[in-house]
Amino acid sequence: MDIMENITDIVQIKHEVLRRTAKHAFDGNLYEEYDKIPYEMIEGIKPQFRCCVYREREIVRQRVRMAMGKLPMDVLYTDADSAQVVHVIPCACEGCPITKITVTQNCQSCLAKKCVKACPFGAITSTPHGAVIDQSKCKKCGKCVAACPYNAIVEIERPCIKSCPVKAINMDENDIATIDPQKCVNCGACVVGCPFGAISDVSMMVSVIDALKKQDKEVVAMVAPAIEGQFGAATLPQIKQAIRKLGFDDVYEVALGADMVAYNEAAELSERRAAGEPMTSSCCPAFVNLVHKHFPALEKYVSTTVSPMVAVERYIRSIRPGVVTVFIGPCIAKKNEVMGNYVDEIDYAITFEELYAMLCAQGIEVEETEEAPEDATRYGKGFAVSGGVTGAVAQVLSERGEDANVKAQKCNGADECRKALMLLKAGKLPVDFVEGMFCVGGCMGGPATLMEIQKSKKVFDTRLGGAESVVENVESKGLDKANVHRHA
Amino acid sequence: MDLMVCVGSSCHLQNSRDVIKRFKELIEEYHLEGSVELKGSFCMGHCADAGVCVKYADEIYSVRPETADEFFKTTVAKAD
Repeated sequence: MDIMENITDIVQIKHEVLRRTAKHAFDGNLYEEYDKIPYEMIEGIKPQFRCCVYREREIVRQRVRMAMGKLPMDVLYTDADSAQVVHVIPCACEGCPITKITVTQNCQSCLAKKCVKACPFGAITSTPHGAVIDQSKCKKCGKCVAACPYNAIVEIERPCIKSCPVKAINMDENDIATIDPQKCVNCGACVVGCPFGAISDVSMMVSVIDALKKQDKEVVAMVAPAIEGQFGAATLPQIKQAIRKLGFDDVYEVALGADMVAYNEAAELSERRAAGEPMTSSCCPAFVNLVHKHFPALEKYVSTTVSPMVAVERYIRSIRPGVVTVFIGPCIAKKNEVMGNYVDEIDYAITFEELYAMLCAQGIEVEETEEAPEDATRYGKGFAVSGGVTGAVAQVLSERGEDANVKAQKCNGADECRKALMLLKAGKLPVDFVEGMFCVGGCMGGPATLMEIQKSKKVFDTRLGGAESVVENVESKGLDKANVHRHA
Repeated sequence: MDLMVCVGSSCHLQNSRDVIKRFKELIEEYHLEGSVELKGSFCMGHCADAGVCVKYADEIYSVRPETADEFFKTTVAKAD
């Protein structure tokens, strides 16, 4: 497999921790061996990334805890929301000592001194060696940044704070990053954003492996449509076969749940259109969290249809009661959706990263497995990309002979989601349907994917086959009988 | 009020799933659907205790599947 090829050291370390944890869990000796993982991974006494090997091992030790479903040791348990998935690993945080406005070497010590004149606080002095900012006077207004003709003054923010779309990251008295669980939507942007890998997501992988090994109940996987393209050239049937080899009794496509959601959401949209009120999508958990935590007044507009994950889970449970259900996706926020709202329905949610670690631990090569049939339509699969939900809902409307010309606002990424909700709140968004996807590009751009979206999207687009009619697919499979409304 | 059950790997081995299942049934039996919300939780740092870690009204308890009924009756049903 050519995945992980162009991956940074951070993702490699995370993968290596997950892989070794998975291996020990499969081998049944995790509780005897887990404290050896830091020593297996970091040998000798010469540090590779940090100040010393002891700190490197401590960081690995905390990562192993998270891989085992525990919080980092130094996070205050009492302060954390129980379903909070994203956590800072304090020992890995470098406390980036960044002063926000900095003069760079581009400064030519010019005569114009536009920066000095632009500063309303008299914080800048010009010296023969370049402009100097008195940080005690600087109010970070940014006027000098705009004024410099050489672009020599830059505004830099801590990458974690910059990456967070909901301003949930702060610093404690030691400059260590902290997450405010009241604001955090668990999107995982900071997990990707921190260049030191000091923020990570807690895993349910070990419990999944335990359920697979126990074999007292059937365990079924539900894979998100964004999996297409994650394993390079491997096809979806091949990926499903590889997942079966891990010990899953069956693999369902969440895209089938997306067909069910489109089927129901189209009817819901027709009703709301008739009543003259807008509706937003409800499939993206970070978007739903954004509405819930930051725009509570708009909650009434969120579609009451469950997410495709929950829809397909209820279908599976209706035909195979008593199975253990495991969602596998590119998404960190899905773990929060399961923990916070559906812990009594869905058993576990894991990510593609965790799936890949499990496959590597068991030495399963995806390409080598044989073919198997697919279940969903191309429209259900389309839920994985920006614009796909709107497309599927419009498709159902057109199949039913209704007005398929949906006035939609497709929000591609957190910034567009926030902007649209702000307009909606102000009554200035004249659309019928708001499609909220918190990650840029849709789920394929999710924080726990294995492949850059530019690469995976190419494969995804060529594979967009499957059944053509959503209504037919849903009704012929009897999917319209399952309850897909919130609070069953 | 949130009734949180740990689903971390240690509590999973102590059968946290069975505790969740029983709590779901008990919430229905006592008709507490409106006031008690069942939620999952990651590790709350009490792995060494003898049962599954459960948090209710800011207190941490240790519950086993066979003590779930008694716990629910004395702590959850009583408080509401």
